[in-house]
Amino acid sequence: MTYKIGLIIDDKRYEAIRDLPFAGSLKSMFGGEIKILEVDVDEETAKRILQAFPSARVDARGYLEDLPVAFKRALFEAVVKTRSLGKEAIEEVFRNIEAIKELAKKEKEYVPPP
Amino acid sequence: MPVIEPHGGRLVNNVVEDADKARTYWELPTRLEIKPTLGPDGAPIRNPYREVMSIAYGFFSPLEGFMPWNEVESVLKERRLLGGWLFPFPIVLDVTEEELKASGARQGDDLLLTLKGRPFAVLKVEEVYKLPDRRELADAVFGTPERNGEVVKKRFDEKHPGWLIYRSLKPLALAGKVAVVNPPRFREPYSRFWTPPAASRRLIESKGWKVVVAHQTRNVPHIGHEMLMKRAMFVAGGDRPGDAVLVNAIIGAKRPGDYVDEAILEGHEALRLGGYFHQERHVVSFTLWDMRYGNPLESILHGIIRQNMGATHHMFGRDHAATGDYYDPYSTQYLWTRGLPSYGINAPPHEVDKGLKIRPVNMGEFAYCPKCGEYTYLGMSYGDVKEAPLCGHTPERISGSFLRGIIIEGLRPPKVVMRPEVYDVIVKWWRAYGYPYVTEKYLKLKEEALEVEL
Repeated sequence: MTYKIGLIIDDKRYEAIRDLPFAGSLKSMFGGEIKILEVDVDEETAKRILQAFPSARVDARGYLEDLPVAFKRALFEAVVKTRSLGKEAIEEVFRNIEAIKELAKKEKEYVPPP
Repeated sequence: MPVIEPHGGRLVNNVVEDADKARTYWELPTRLEIKPTLGPDGAPIRNPYREVMSIAYGFFSPLEGFMPWNEVESVLKERRLLGGWLFPFPIVLDVTEEELKASGARQGDDLLLTLKGRPFAVLKVEEVYKLPDRRELADAVFGTPERNGEVVKKRFDEKHPGWLIYRSLKPLALAGKVAVVNPPRFREPYSRFWTPPAASRRLIESKGWKVVVAHQTRNVPHIGHEMLMKRAMFVAGGDRPGDAVLVNAIIGAKRPGDYVDEAILEGHEALRLGGYFHQERHVVSFTLWDMRYGNPLESILHGIIRQNMGATHHMFGRDHAATGDYYDPYSTQYLWTRGLPSYGINAPPHEVDKGLKIRPVNMGEFAYCPKCGEYTYLGMSYGDVKEAPLCGHTPERISGSFLRGIIIEGLRPPKVVMRPEVYDVIVKWWRAYGYPYVTEKYLKLKEEALEVEL
């Protein structure tokens, strides 16, 4: 089974992906006011993510939710870097997974403001 | 037109402003330091100082003090004070045997209540009594599915913050009138929003507002909240320009994940500063109270507070003052249209003898319809009747958790979801506390500092 991770795309993030091939396939909410980029995750990768972040869960739609902010930020950066919405992006994230896990631990008390 | 009558006919003002007179109480030999009620994990879940303030400054009029046992029984039986006026919750000052002994207080004494070690208020001790089993007391306060099946859907437990407050009370209680003898100074930004009932009434009178619709909040406002406030004004029949929205935030014990109090107050203020509400038709204020999350019961207290502040109407939305799925989401609307006979309230609160004068504006939810390009009304669900949009499209609801997800990622929510000025307030306090929501660290800081200085 393929799962999904939804990445919210604001104006700043859109600028980073506007020239990438999947920029035209963003999912739209609120009449286009919110755009979501869907990253595909296979079953094995989903298990790795769920193991890395015990608070994460799969919702009824098959989306991985309640992921740490650090993971989602890293995933977006990886999507831009690898120009991929699949395994390549996830692998890029897992290269730094220990550092992301450390950041995630601190997220209960501190998240850098925008 | 005069401002609406206070609940019970007279506004309580038990604040000794005369410094010389007030100081005569400061040296009382019997004294008791006000301490927070602690939950099972040791975290503060209530601070009785907030109740002292709300009683003394008239928010809870006609209540003048902590309740004796026969008044607690009356409230539990039919939600009435001994004078017959409608009131939803027992208001109890609980102590341990050790605290009582150390205070030296006995029936008939004037007891100095201290806060942060400083003189704060005086309690005229009329009764010292033992509280019954607190689990049974908590059940009696909120109801059970068996006894109150018209609105209670699930048995209350430790996860319900209000039930936990009553469950965690100490074994003894002190009853009697209270008076503040050292009026505290509010810290910023609270001081800017402190508009107790007497001041609120003066403001309403000076502005000439005829229709004042109260809005209860414990949230930073998103557009759905703004829609509710604005549409409620139309439902209430506000005559321009003599009408206004009175936002009253409940400030008290918080839970991790809530918005911080400072952002709630300034977030609502930002709606006016941003021009989304006219400068002359909107006011933001607060009441000190550790919310009991009692949905319909809480709505009675909200009605009392806002009537005492001078509001003519009160907007009640879905899941009013609720948490979890203990109550039906439209329990408050049930109360204000039919009463709650199982709680001893046989008609809506504004239709019973010695009830409220404030009028309800019962509302369902709004959701954004991308096709219409505007917010559409969904109505209410009750029994077999389910919410349904006014338009024929598929509107999208604003989910609080989805919005929080956007914010915590550091992304600016779209304008159709949250005003940019409101988001900027969230970020301001995010920078101050290192997090956009309440954390354990914030809870600790808040309980140490409280909202006031003495």
